[in-house]
Parts: sequence; C-alpha cells; structure tokens
Amino acid sequence: MLNQLAETINRNIQGANAQAFIPEDAKLHGSVTIEATKLFEVATWLRSNKELPFNVLQVISAVDYLDYFEVCYMFANFNPEDMRDVILKVKLTDRVNPNLDSICSIYASANFQEREAFDMMGVRFNNHPDHRRILCPDDWEGFPLRKDYVYPKMYNGMEVFPDAKMNFEDREFEARQKLISKAQNTASTDV
Amino acid sequence: MQSRWDIGTPERPTINSETEKLKTELLTLNMGPQHPATHGVLRIEIKTDSEIVAHAIPHLGYLHRCMEKHSEHLDYRGVIPFVDRLDYLAAMSMEWTYVAAVEKMLGTEVPRRAELLRVMTAELQRIASHLVAFGTYILDLGPQTVFLYAFEMREKILRMFEEVSGARMLYNYIWVGGVWNDWTDEQLKNVANFCDEMELEAKKYYDLNSSNQVFIKRTAHVGVMTTQDCFDFGATGPVLRGSGFNWDLRKNQPYSLYNEFDFDVCVGTGEIGQVGDCYNRYIVRMNEVIESIKIIRQVLTKLEPGSVMGKVPKIIKLPKGEVYMKHECPRGELGIHLVSEDGGKTPYRLKVKSPCFTHISMIPRVAPGQMIADFVATVGSTDIVLGEVDR
Amino acid sequence: MSTQAGSVREYFSALFDAITSTARAMYVTFKYVWAVKPVSIEYPEVREVLPDRARMRLFNDVLNCISCTQCAMACPVDCIYIASEKMPEGAEIKKTSNGQAIRLKLTQFTIDTALCCYCGLCTTVCPTECLTHSHDYEFSQYTVDHMKYDYLAPDVIAWRDRIVKS
Repeated sequence: MLNQLAETINRNIQGANAQAFIPEDAKLHGSVTIEATKLFEVATWLRSNKELPFNVLQVISAVDYLDYFEVCYMFANFNPEDMRDVILKVKLTDRVNPNLDSICSIYASANFQEREAFDMMGVRFNNHPDHRRILCPDDWEGFPLRKDYVYPKMYNGMEVFPDAKMNFEDREFEARQKLISKAQNTASTDV
Repeated sequence: MQSRWDIGTPERPTINSETEKLKTELLTLNMGPQHPATHGVLRIEIKTDSEIVAHAIPHLGYLHRCMEKHSEHLDYRGVIPFVDRLDYLAAMSMEWTYVAAVEKMLGTEVPRRAELLRVMTAELQRIASHLVAFGTYILDLGPQTVFLYAFEMREKILRMFEEVSGARMLYNYIWVGGVWNDWTDEQLKNVANFCDEMELEAKKYYDLNSSNQVFIKRTAHVGVMTTQDCFDFGATGPVLRGSGFNWDLRKNQPYSLYNEFDFDVCVGTGEIGQVGDCYNRYIVRMNEVIESIKIIRQVLTKLEPGSVMGKVPKIIKLPKGEVYMKHECPRGELGIHLVSEDGGKTPYRLKVKSPCFTHISMIPRVAPGQMIADFVATVGSTDIVLGEVDR
Repeated sequence: MSTQAGSVREYFSALFDAITSTARAMYVTFKYVWAVKPVSIEYPEVREVLPDRARMRLFNDVLNCISCTQCAMACPVDCIYIASEKMPEGAEIKKTSNGQAIRLKLTQFTIDTALCCYCGLCTTVCPTECLTHSHDYEFSQYTVDHMKYDYLAPDVIAWRDRIVKS
C-alpha cells in the first residue's frame, strides 16, 4: 500500500519525490517520505483525491535525530469500507530555523498539533493562524524535546533548582552509589 | 479649573447620540484554571457579548509534566507508571496501549489468558471511566444524585482492581509480555456479580436522568459537533460516535482479541435532540457501559487457566524503527508513536496522541454563539481529562 | 393566535413531562432512603481492611538485603538510595532467609517516600524479597525531609517485626 501511495503521489504532484520506506522487520511500521516544500500540495491532494483519500489527520509527531528533524504526520481514513492509515514523513535538515508550510487550512486538527510541534521541537509553520506556544509558558526559552536541550538555570529572573534548595545528600548518595557499583563490578570480575 | 462636581450642561440624549456614545465591547471572562466545570486545570478565555460566547480560546499546559521528555530517560518498563498518569481515570487502557506498542516492536507472544484478562480489565476500566464521565457531567448541570450513585459503582471496580493489582487508580498492572497478577476464581466471581449489578444500575441511571426532561432541555441541540467537524479535527471515541458516525477501532480494526467478541458499536441516533449534540454524546457513553458488560461476560466464559506472563528478556532492547499504535480508550483513540534507536534501552521518542487534546481543539469551533451555561455543558460533554491533554 | 395557543400547549406539556420524569427519578432516589445501607465508614475508628496486594509504604527488611541495587536501578523516579561497602576481612558471612550469602555490608538504605510513586517495580526485581510494600498508609510528616525513611535506623528495626509480612 505504501508503494502504491508513493507512486500515486509522485504521479499527481510534480517534484514531491515520495519514497516508501518498508522496514525489513515486518513488525515495524513503514512510512512515506516526501519533500518538505511540497507538503502543502501533498496534503491538499490527500484530502481531496478520490483514489486514496485520507480524511483525518490524527497527530503530528516531530522527532529530533540531531542532524535533522523528522516531522511525522499520521493520516487516516475513517471509513468502514475503506480503511487505511499512513505515516507521512518530512525531513528538515535546517536545524537553526526549521520551517514548514502549515496545513491548518486543510486539516483543522493541525492547528493545535502544529503548535505543539513548535512548542516542543521548534519547528516553525508558515501561515499558521495562531502561532504560539501551547504547553509551555509563552516566555519559555528553548525547545524542551530537542535532544540537545539544556535545562535552564534561570526563568523570569527566578533561579530554577537553586543550590540552597537542592538536597545535596541525595547527590552524595548517588555519587557514592555509582562508586559502589563500579567497585562491585570490578570485584565480581576479580572473582 | 473644573470642579469635580461640575458636569457641565447635560446633553439631552437623543437616540442617535446615545448609541454613538455608548461603547460596546466584548467582556473577557476566564473560565478556570480552577473551575469545577473544566474537570481539571484548564483555562478557557471566553469573550462574551452579554450572555453569548463570541469566541473561546483554550489555554493549556497547567498540568504539563514533561512525560514525553521523562520517558526518554527511563527504561521501557519504567515508563508504564508514567503512562498511567496520563489519563488517570482510565489508567488500564493507557498502559495497554503503550505496552502493545512495545510488544509489537519486541514481537512478544502474549499468553491467551493474559490477553483475555487485558480485555476484561480494559472494559471494566471503560465502565469506571464512563461512570465518572457522566456522573460529573450531570453534576455540572445540577443534579447531584447520579454522581453519588455512579461513584459508588466505580468504587466497586476500583476495589476489584486494588485486590488484583494493589493500587486504586495508577495500577502498573499490564506489563510487557502479560499482566502482573492473575485473577483468582473468587475475584472473577466478583466481576460476574458486578456485571449483574451494573446492568440493573444502568437502568436506574436511565430512569434517574436520561429520560429527565430538565436534563434533556439542558443538553439536546446544544453544542452540536457534526461528523464533518469531527473529521476536520480528528475527533474520535464517543464524540465521533455521538455525531452519528459508526467508527470504533475495536470493531473496525480489531486489535488484540476483540474480533472474537460479539458487541455493538453505540452510535448517537438523534432520537432525542439531534445527532452530534451533548445529549447524544452522553447517551453513547451510557450505552457503551452495557456493551462493555457484554464483552466482560464473554471474557468470563472464555477464560481458561494458564500462564499470564509471556517470555520477555530481562532488559528490553528494541530494534531500530517506529510503531504507531492506537487503541480505543474510553475517551477516544489513544495513539502511541514509539521511536527506538538500535538496541536502545530507553525510548528514543515517545509521542502520545491524546484524544482529549483533539477534543479541546474543537471547543473554539463549537463555542461561538452559545450561552455561557450551554458552554459549560459542551465542555463537560467532551469529557476531557487534563492529565492526558497536557501530558 | 394559533401559534400562541400551540406554544401554551407546548409549555404545559413540557411542564408535565418535567414533572413526570422528575417523579420517576425521585421514585428511584426514595428507594435508597430505606432500602440501601450507608456505604461510608467512620474512618479513624473503623478501618478498611486492605487487600493483600495493596501497595502502601515501602519497607525494607535490611537483615535480608544483599545490596544488589537492582531496586534502585528499576525505580523510575530514583527514590531509593543504597550505599554499601565490602565486608571486613574474616567476617562471618551471613545468609538471607532464602539462603543467599550477604557479601556486602549495607551502610545506607534510604527511601524518599515523598518521591516514591508506588509503582511496585522495585519489589518485583528484589531477589531476596526483602523489599515489600507494607500496609501502612498513615505517614504524614511535618517536613519533606521527614519523608525519607532510613531503614537502618534503630527505630525502624524496632518495628520490623510488626511490619514484615510473614
């Protein structure tokens, strides 16, 4: 099905460069990857075509692979006679300012999902009607779910986890525990 | 200098000048974060024109616990207690979805008895969750009696869960490869008794409330979400079924053992009110309780003694790849997008598709033009749990 | 005029419906007045008997602990702190109740119950079954620091016999 979908996308949208990825392991789910610039056209086509329609966008899930972002769109067709779902992927290599076209005007569910993707991963969506953070406060800095996210020291002039309130005993325990486990390992190898 | 009391010569107001002078503006009203009708810490900023809601903007994130970030630092078994806390009213269903995603990647064989027990606990959980859903919903609209009756019945379910898993709400009962503990025959007998009791009780709720004209007047033709709206926003579960569309993952894409069971999908019919309104969403939940009892009874006849835990490696390592697993939870379809690195002991990325999150995004669409009291009814009828929305 | 008459009839029929349906609801409610016994219990005097598997405060029986740190590894919230050192030379090697030799001397076993999420994962990995959930659910304290339970402290060892499930 994924091959068929990729083929039809390529036939209908010029330059979409859809490629089906079918994992060798049959347990895992496959996906279709398309060009980021053609996302809006592909989404429009997915919604409106007669051949392989997808009437629901379920979720947008952004994944950070350190050298690129992958934004996964889970589309599904809610129709008891003609059920299908697909993971449509878009690769974003620009790490500083990753941006995509918003598909809010096609699938209304994209509104909140795109806001969440922006909030957590920092993927910007062009032409989004209400481009704000959704879960974090508006003045939050950084994008928490990125793999290189550094936990902030200050927030709004307040110290986060100030040393005065930290429980150093816990840390000592932890450090000691690590030493002990190391000692144990060496001891077990000696025996 | 003008005296404070000198208001000058008063102008004789004509109709025109008065309307010019009187400035009308929308009143901003904050519903929440502490509001009984939002069932949690949700703030909805409402712009009202007198009693009519002009638009509503939900503000989320008050219960944001960074569950997705946390899980990247935990092993696959350690995530289960965190997944419990997503939808704390239906923790069993949450666990099952996550565990099913891990099992799918791991390729574990689950013993039949464990799978049946999972179906049974998930359906019991669905009853418990719906009892809270309509109990508190009715409480929002005034009557208090049903709430107390519903919580009494829910308490019985929680007691059964406590006996078998050890906790009342956050069970950590469904594990990768099976379930933690087996149910004894006595406990299973309790379940059978509960089913009989619940059936009578459900009829009582119908007499008490579903046929009550005052309640019908409050909910019928209020907060209509059409099927097209539901598709646009990706709504699932009782919201989608209440809009008259027959869609249930248990029936349409049967996972686990659901294709062995005989049950009906409850769809809003529009006998009272119209399809897609608050009353139909409510009545779908009421009927689903009966269907769940049907499933539980079938499970009880099918149960055979056996092992409840499959073979799982001591440290779970998943192959590189991804899985998007969705299950029909009481509030809608819960999706778990699990991405793993090669041989990683922790999830590389865990994304939860929460049904309540999508239902909240429908509120700005439905709210405009409603009275404030109806707005409360609409928010309550979508049955949101903020633990799941904010994650 | 006819519309007005219709609306009046509608009004009264709605009123009638409301009264009859409310009466039916009240019939259900009134049955509760005499027929159903109260379900609540008077808590401090009457206590509910907890099921055997109830997961309340953790208890570690330090005499059986072999300091394997598996519980600390399994804990999703990292609330168990264990420290141990090598047994002094020539010391007598004790055995746990299920026959495992204790090779390390436990110097610290603390659980921060304020952090604990009562998931029960630590009790399942314990090889000697010394770490268990007790049925003790009343342990409110004045400060968060007091929520840390040091299971090597003499007062805890004193109530060991009371807590440990046989």
